[in-house]
Amino acid sequence: RTIMGPADGCGESFYPSDEEIQKWMDKAFDMAKDALENGEVPVGCLLIYNNEVIGKGRNEVNETKNATRHAEMVALDELRDWCKLKGLEIKTVCDKTVLYVTVEPCIMCAAALRLFNLPVVVYGCRNDRFGGCGSVLDISSAHLPQTGTIFKCVAGHRAEEAVEMLKTFYKQENPNGNTFDSTY
Amino acid sequence: RWKGSGCDIDSWDASPVLSDEISQDVELIDAFAAPILDKKRTSKLVQTLNTLHPLTDRTHLKRVRPCKTKGSPHALEILLFPIDDAKDPEALGFSDPGLGRPFVVKIPSRPPLTRTQFESASKHWPTSFHEDKQVTVALRGELFDAKQKAKMRNYMMSAIDAANEGKKQNMEAVGAVIVDPNLDKIIATGHDCRKNHPLQHAVMTCIDLVARSQGGGCYSYGKHPGCKFDPPDSDIVPQPYICTGYDLYVTREPCVLCAMALVHSRIGRVFYGTGSGDGALGTKFKIHAQKDLNHRFDVFKGVLAEQCKDLEQWERK
Ligand SMILES: [Zn+2]
Ligand SMILES: [Zn+2]
Repeated sequence: RTIMGPADGCGESFYPSDEEIQKWMDKAFDMAKDALENGEVPVGCLLIYNNEVIGKGRNEVNETKNATRHAEMVALDELRDWCKLKGLEIKTVCDKTVLYVTVEPCIMCAAALRLFNLPVVVYGCRNDRFGGCGSVLDISSAHLPQTGTIFKCVAGHRAEEAVEMLKTFYKQENPNGNTFDSTY
Repeated sequence: RWKGSGCDIDSWDASPVLSDEISQDVELIDAFAAPILDKKRTSKLVQTLNTLHPLTDRTHLKRVRPCKTKGSPHALEILLFPIDDAKDPEALGFSDPGLGRPFVVKIPSRPPLTRTQFESASKHWPTSFHEDKQVTVALRGELFDAKQKAKMRNYMMSAIDAANEGKKQNMEAVGAVIVDPNLDKIIATGHDCRKNHPLQHAVMTCIDLVARSQGGGCYSYGKHPGCKFDPPDSDIVPQPYICTGYDLYVTREPCVLCAMALVHSRIGRVFYGTGSGDGALGTKFKIHAQKDLNHRFDVFKGVLAEQCKDLEQWERK
């Protein structure tokens, strides 16, 4: 596993422990497996605050006909609703929230995570086609003062498994090997 | 109507936001060349080099050039091979009495795409150039005629109206419309709603409204009369796949979130009024021309630039 992003450790050093990473990534992988078994895009995604799931999501592009409904975007909507319900400020909650996701967030989702000021993202495999945490562009650490805050990435947790699930899914989905419409 | 608009409403130009490959000079790389001491051996030398060191990916380069130095004893110089292929002129693999001592030259690494690139590349080594008329016209800013400009102005005015609607609700003054250029019809109109939700930028709002026009979507805009969509007239019109073939007009250059959302949505073209600090379609990134992404689109900036800039200025007060 590799830790990427600014290593200066400025500000508070909020960071999940190894046990937490293990526990929540296992849950994210369970979600992804579940999705695969139901013929859905095998990506699991959880937002954890104070050891509690405050947002989770799966890819909803097809049912909403909105190509931006990636799992992370759905989870961020849940986080926002949760904050509203609890009467908490989004920024205060996000300061101490970690995103666990089985695949590297895309460029769009990476920007969304910045705009929510999330400090840490833990992910499984790289996203070579759209990745926004270094694979195609590095939005997580880019100098974008009007686009929220940078975030740290913990990459590579059970990466091979995450790749295998995506491969299996797109093989079923696209027998011709046409991946034009794939999200990952 | 426009604050301080003594200027003509049509004193703007839509200029293309081109990829770095087009807008910057062609990269130069080092190569070995050598003087041809015996002019009669030129064709033999070209033949041998074409076999031993073919210019496979660099067919834009001429093999031989006239010597530029005045009063030189030899008239011609010949390109041997790029230095990235081999570090040493000894790697030539043959010797010829007609060939002089190798020296290092700069050569353009890829074919020039524009006349400007061609002229600057040719200064280093003779280069061929196949002009793309569309690119040349675009660079001269002559892509759109008066009729097209009038349409573009109207669409951008709708986006500005939407921005003002948003402003009334204390949102950032950014507005957008998504248009079907074939039907000449606005499909969705939206404005910034980020006071409600950190991700509801004008473009994101419009994308979701297009989804709603196609029977999908995930947000409701009941509280925002400025955000609306027009369902397709009839079922004869084939439903496009998300934003395929549609144009977006937006008052301010989209950020990374919005720019990548437009890639995912397969937008046709994007027109924006004014640039933005973190803009991802020209300023910080050129996501519409990003290598490795599965969808590219054309971007034009400067439509009603002054009026769009005015929105931003009010913003700052
Ligand atoms: Zn994404
Ligand atoms: Zn945006």
